[in-house]
Formats: sequence, C-alpha cells, structure tokens
Amino acid sequence: MANVNPLSNPKGVKRQCELCGSPAYVQCSGCKVTYYCDVGHQRTDWTSIHEKICQLLIPVRTPAPFLNSAAERAHAVDQLLQRKKHLIELTTKEAQRLLYEGHHVDAIPAATHSLSFSVDVYGLRSVELVPVYLILAEANIGLGHLTQAEEYLSHAYWTVLKSTDCSNSIRSKLHRNLGLLYSAKGEFEESLRHLSNDVYFASTVSGPSQISTSGGFFHMANIFFRQNRMDIADSLYSEVTDIWHAHLSRLVEVQIQASLRSVTVWFDDADQEYLDENQEAEALQVLSAIYDIREQAPKKEPNKMAKILHALTMLFFLSRDFNKASEWGKKLLPMTEQLARDDQSDSIAVLIENIEGKLNTKQVAYQQDT
Amino acid sequence: MSILPAMSRQGHHRSPNLILPTSLPTSPKKRQQNGIHLIRDKDVKDHHQQKNIKELSKEETATYQNSFKHSICIEMLRQGYHKSFSELFTLIHKWNALRDAGGPGSAIWQQKPLEEQHEKLDQLQHFLTRAEAAQRSGYYEEVYKNQFALAQYFKKVDDQWLSNHFYECCFQTAKQIKTDGGRKEAEANANLATMAEEHGQLEKAAAHYEAFYHLTVGRIWKDETGRTHNSLACENLWRIYTLLSDKMLENKEWQQAIKTLIKALDMAREGCDKKMEGEAAYQLGLAHISSGNPQIAIKYLNTYMEISKRLKDNVGLGKAYEAMAKALESQGKIVESIEYLENFIEVAKTSNLSQSLAETCICLGDIFNARGNYEKACQYFSQAYETAVNLGEVSLLEETQVHFGIAKAHRMMLAVSRHTEAADYVSMEYLLAWKKNRSDMFSDPANVVSLAPIEADSSKVCGNGEKLETALKNSE
Repeated sequence: MANVNPLSNPKGVKRQCELCGSPAYVQCSGCKVTYYCDVGHQRTDWTSIHEKICQLLIPVRTPAPFLNSAAERAHAVDQLLQRKKHLIELTTKEAQRLLYEGHHVDAIPAATHSLSFSVDVYGLRSVELVPVYLILAEANIGLGHLTQAEEYLSHAYWTVLKSTDCSNSIRSKLHRNLGLLYSAKGEFEESLRHLSNDVYFASTVSGPSQISTSGGFFHMANIFFRQNRMDIADSLYSEVTDIWHAHLSRLVEVQIQASLRSVTVWFDDADQEYLDENQEAEALQVLSAIYDIREQAPKKEPNKMAKILHALTMLFFLSRDFNKASEWGKKLLPMTEQLARDDQSDSIAVLIENIEGKLNTKQVAYQQDT
Repeated sequence: MSILPAMSRQGHHRSPNLILPTSLPTSPKKRQQNGIHLIRDKDVKDHHQQKNIKELSKEETATYQNSFKHSICIEMLRQGYHKSFSELFTLIHKWNALRDAGGPGSAIWQQKPLEEQHEKLDQLQHFLTRAEAAQRSGYYEEVYKNQFALAQYFKKVDDQWLSNHFYECCFQTAKQIKTDGGRKEAEANANLATMAEEHGQLEKAAAHYEAFYHLTVGRIWKDETGRTHNSLACENLWRIYTLLSDKMLENKEWQQAIKTLIKALDMAREGCDKKMEGEAAYQLGLAHISSGNPQIAIKYLNTYMEISKRLKDNVGLGKAYEAMAKALESQGKIVESIEYLENFIEVAKTSNLSQSLAETCICLGDIFNARGNYEKACQYFSQAYETAVNLGEVSLLEETQVHFGIAKAHRMMLAVSRHTEAADYVSMEYLLAWKKNRSDMFSDPANVVSLAPIEADSSKVCGNGEKLETALKNSE
C-alpha cells in the first residue's frame, strides 16, 4: 500500500478509485496500477477479486511499448485481447462462485471488474454482458438494493431486446431475475409476466417438464401463494414436485442399478447423470419450501405429502447424506401406508432398503476404524 | 446537474465513435466511466427520474414484439394455467417433431405449422384454460365437456391428429368421472373406437367398442336421436367384427374368421336387428363353405333364407339360394343345388332382380357346363346374356359373353370329335366344308340335311365368335 496525492499526479492523468471512481489516495503496492480512494475500498476489492488478479492486471494496464514492425504491433494487440478475455473468464467465474456461496457483498467487485473488461472487449451492446449484469443484479437483490438491481436488469433487458442472437437460456435467466426483482418490490403482476416469460424460454430449451423450467413455476407458485390464490399455487407446487420427483427418481434408479451391477460403488461412472451443486442447492431449497407449505396447510393430502417426502428422501440419498435420508424415509413410511399400493410403493421400499444398507456399511467401516 | 447538450471537450477528444454518444446518459461524470456503474455507496444520488411517457403498456409492446404463440403462452401462464401451457407447448413440439420425422415431401410437410394457425391456438387456449380451471376445482365433467369441444372442433376443421389427441384426453378424464355410472366413459370409448375405425385400426376399434358394450349393458342411456347406447354398441360391434372377419378370410384364417363371425352373430341377435342377424348368418355360411364345411354352412344359410323371406328381401333370398347351391354343389348334391337355383330364377324374374338373375343364370350355366350338359348351359348363358344386355352393364356383359362363348365352343367340340372319330368319307367332307367357311353346322343336331340353313345361321355364330374374342381381349 502506498499513498498518492491527487495533486501530485502528472498533468492530464486522473487516478480514480477502482470501486467508486472518486479521486484516489491509495495505490496497490502489488501491481502498482490499481488505485483506491481509501483503505476500506482496497480491502473490499482485495477479498473479492484483486488477490486473484493483482499480477494479471499489470500487463493489461501498463501502456504498450513502442514496437517497430506492424506484425509485432498486431501481435501485441492480439495478446492484450487474449489477456483481457482471460481476465473476464476468471472474474466472472469468481463472482458466480461467491454468489452461490451467498457472499453478495464480495461478489459485486468481481462482477464489476468482469463487466468493465467485457465492455472493453465486446462493446456496450453485446450479449456477452448479459450474464455479468445478471450476476450483479442477483447480488444486489440479495443485498436489498432494488434500484441498483433494476438498473442492471434494465440494461440487460435492453441488450437482449436489441440483439438477435441471444440464447433462450440467457433470456430465461434474465426474466427470472426480473421476476424476482418485481416480486421483491411487490409488483406481482409485472413479476408474473416476467416469470411466465422465464418459463416459456426455459421450455423452448428443454421442454416444459424439465428441472430448468421448474424454478420459474416455483417462483410463480410463491407469488400466487402470497396473493392467496391457493388453488393455483397448489397446482403449481404439485407440478414442481412432480418435475423434481421424476428427475430424482430417474437418477436414483440409475444409481441403484449401478450398485446392483458392481458390488463396490466407490467410483461413479463418468458419463452417469448426476446433480451438480447448483441443482442440489436449488432442489433442497425448493423442496423444503414446498414441504413446509404442505406441512402447514390446514388440510393435508397424504398423496401429495408422500410425494414431496419421497422426493426429499431421494435428494438426500443422492447427495450421500444417508443419515438425513433415513430420517426423512422414516417420515415417509407411515404416509405410504395410508395410501393404496401402487408401483411407487415398491420403489420407495427399494430406496429405503438401499439407504439402510449404506448406513450399515458406514457403521461397520466406522467401527473397524475405531 | 447540467442538462446542457454535450458540448464538453472530452467528447471530441475521443476516437470518433458513431454509436457511443447517443446512448450515453447526459451526466458527464458517467461518460468518463464508459457507461459502467460502479459502486456508489458514497454520496449515492439516484439519477433516475420517473418520466411520465406512457404510450404503450408493457403488455402491448410485448404483443408487438413476440410471436403469437409466445403471447398466448404468456397469457396462460400469467393466470397460472400452467397445465394448459405445457399441453399446448408439447403439442406444438410434437407436431414439429412429426413433421421433421416425415421429412420434405410427406403430407405433413405441406401443412401449415400449428403455431401459425392462430384460430386453432385461440381455440386451444380458450378450452384448455377452462378445462384446467374445472380440473382445479374437481369438476371432471366440465373438464370432459371442454376437451370434447376441442376434439369436435378439430374434427370439424379436419385436423385428425389433434382431434385424436383430445378424444384420448376425454377418455382419460372420463375414467375419473364416477358419479354418472360410467356413461361418459362409455361415450369416450365409442368416440375413440369411431376414430380408430376411421384410421383403419380395426383391432383397436373392436377393443373400444367392446368396452363401450360392457359399459352399456343393461343401461337405458340414449343418444340425441333416441337410440339406446347398447343397441348402438351392438351394431357397431357387429360391423367391426364383420370387417375383421373379412380381413381374416382374405388371409385364409378360416377358424379365426368363423369365431369372429359367431361373435358378430351374437351381437346382431342382441341388438334385435333381423337384417344384421341375417347378414351375419350369411357371412358365417360363406365362411363355412370356404373352410370346407358345407353341412354347417347349410344350417346358417337356412337361417338367412328364413330371415330374408320374412323381411321380403329378394336380393337376400337370391344370395341365400346361390350360396346354398354352392354349398350343396360342394357336397355333391347337384340336383338339389340346381333346384335351388331354378327356384331363385323364378323369384328373381317375378321381382325384377336383373342383377341377381344374371348372376344365377351364370351360376346354373356353370354347373351344367361342368357336368357336360352344354345344351342347357348354352341356354342359361344366353339368358344371362340377354339380361346383361338389358342391364347395360359392361363388365357383366363381358363376363356373360365369355361364358356363353365357352359353352358354345364346348357344344361344338362334341360334334367335331364325333366326326373325327368316325373317320369315314362323309364326315371328312363335312369337316373340310366346315373348315372352309367356319360356320356353326356341328351344333345343328340334323347336320346332314343341307348346307343352306347352316349358311343362314353362320352370320349369327360368327358374330358370337367375334364377341368371344373381343371379350377375351377385354378380360385380359
């Protein structure tokens, strides 16, 4: 860290804070090309992203040396572009990770860097900016800065509207964020309109009964729930449960089949379909929310309860949390006994058997260790 | 805050860029930052001012921007009709998949895509959302009504694929309606069966009609025309069984066909329709004849004969006599068979049934021909020929011409061979004379008398010969 005085800057050079753009008083001693208005902003930037990109910024921000031949100059330009693209990739990924982990404050500087480099490389109007806008908006919604979030989303929306080659999955994400924003602001009609668009675009990608669409349905259900239109909300919650239930059942089926084939299942097949971290988190959030709603409903419908419990049990089974899986399984069993026997009850029985099996092997392994 | 137009030097110092200045916000501070919004937790000023420019609402702009399908989907989703949305979306998707599978040149490739047929999409939206609303509150009858309306609509605009789909939906819904004792389910079955029959899927149609029959046994439900559902079921089942057996007969699966026909007969009896019963009996008789079981065939044909007599159905009676004669013939009881046929000729003549008359004459002629009684064969064939001429039906005419010619040739053959066998001088002369002018002198029993009548006769017979030739050519 080194202090700089704005008055001692060379003529025509303005040094600005990396985060807020006000006159800089502090210089990063690592790269010597980054300035801050005070130590607070420097610290924020450091924890968010600067630690990772400090050295990478030097070649990008120092002025290019004078080169003699045209070939060399072209090469230098090309190299600079490559470096910037690498920085974009790095910062976007980092921002996304921070966002998933719930560090909204930390995600913003990283995303801002990503945005500025993206603008630099692709221009203000390109679709490449949209994912970054979405990260920023999501972080801001998370922090409760709705105006800020709306601004970013409007930018993103405008960009998408103007561009012709925007993929439908990005459109879907954009509308989901817009929907969430308006739902947070309490403008339900507007929110429903955007969420409908989200569902529509997600459906064009993979079909209406896929897990990528279920998120839109879930948020819509929440709005109808808050509007006290219970029959619609209930129908939508059932739809979401069905989608997840079908998806999880398929995964569980694959896994049980795999475990039947070979005795040891320590190594998963590489090509086997599995839930990634985001999907797992989303499933957990959505399914537990629906479970709570069903649990608190005045009139309990056993078949719906059984379905959501079954889905939750499968989810914990797939995330290898066998203790929890068995816990939920115990809740599930009395439910299924109330219902008529169908093909579901067989798969439930197989699942619970598998869970108990895993638990026992774990205990045996534990006892052997001690 | 400056609201003066951008005259600042910074703007001009930049590299010339055509797009950038127009989109930049008016605040010069922002322009320096290249339009990026940085963190503004210090002295945050919101530059957003609500500008009250309201020309089009967001919905209105959306309808201009997006496709019709998109707008309809959004409209449904916004009101929470997610099932309708899924249904519509899947239908469009499936249709496109079918089209791709068909490839260019197939019939479906020429059709207009579903998403461009706004009228159909409108109908779908209207009825699907109503059905879903009814389903939410558990009124399955209402759901059924809406789905049925859709099926009817698509049938009217001749979209088989969609109407089929919605009849299936009706069927699924009808299964859940418990309060009406299965009436809706029965109707849905009947609809599905009709569709299957139209598509030529007879087995499927039979299965659905059977379900329809079982559901309507002992009920007094009636349709709009006042007919009971059960008799409708009987009639339809009878028809389907008969069609099925036709197919089996074509494939020479006699036993299968007979089993199906017995079912058809049962249905006809239960439907209390004598005409149907007779038809079924007749078909059964025919099937038994072709499977080589004339004894049983006669039994069924007798039933048919009686029914035809009672209904005063002379065509039916004729068919019965004919089939009966065939059955008797294959049993070797030629005399009785001839008797039946002659019986019928009487019936046909009195009731002016030229078609059947000609056919029976041919039949009789055939029998006599086969037994070597060419004289009589010729007689019947000529009768058939005359009837055919009166009818003016070309194919029948040609057929009788051929038969008549063959019988005549047979008759001539006898005389020729007799003369050849005799091998005396007179006969030789005779044969030579015939060879020279090719007239019909052998058919004359008193052939030795003179040549004069033979000459006179020759023109007619020559005509016959020509007829035979042309008929043969035609029949090729």
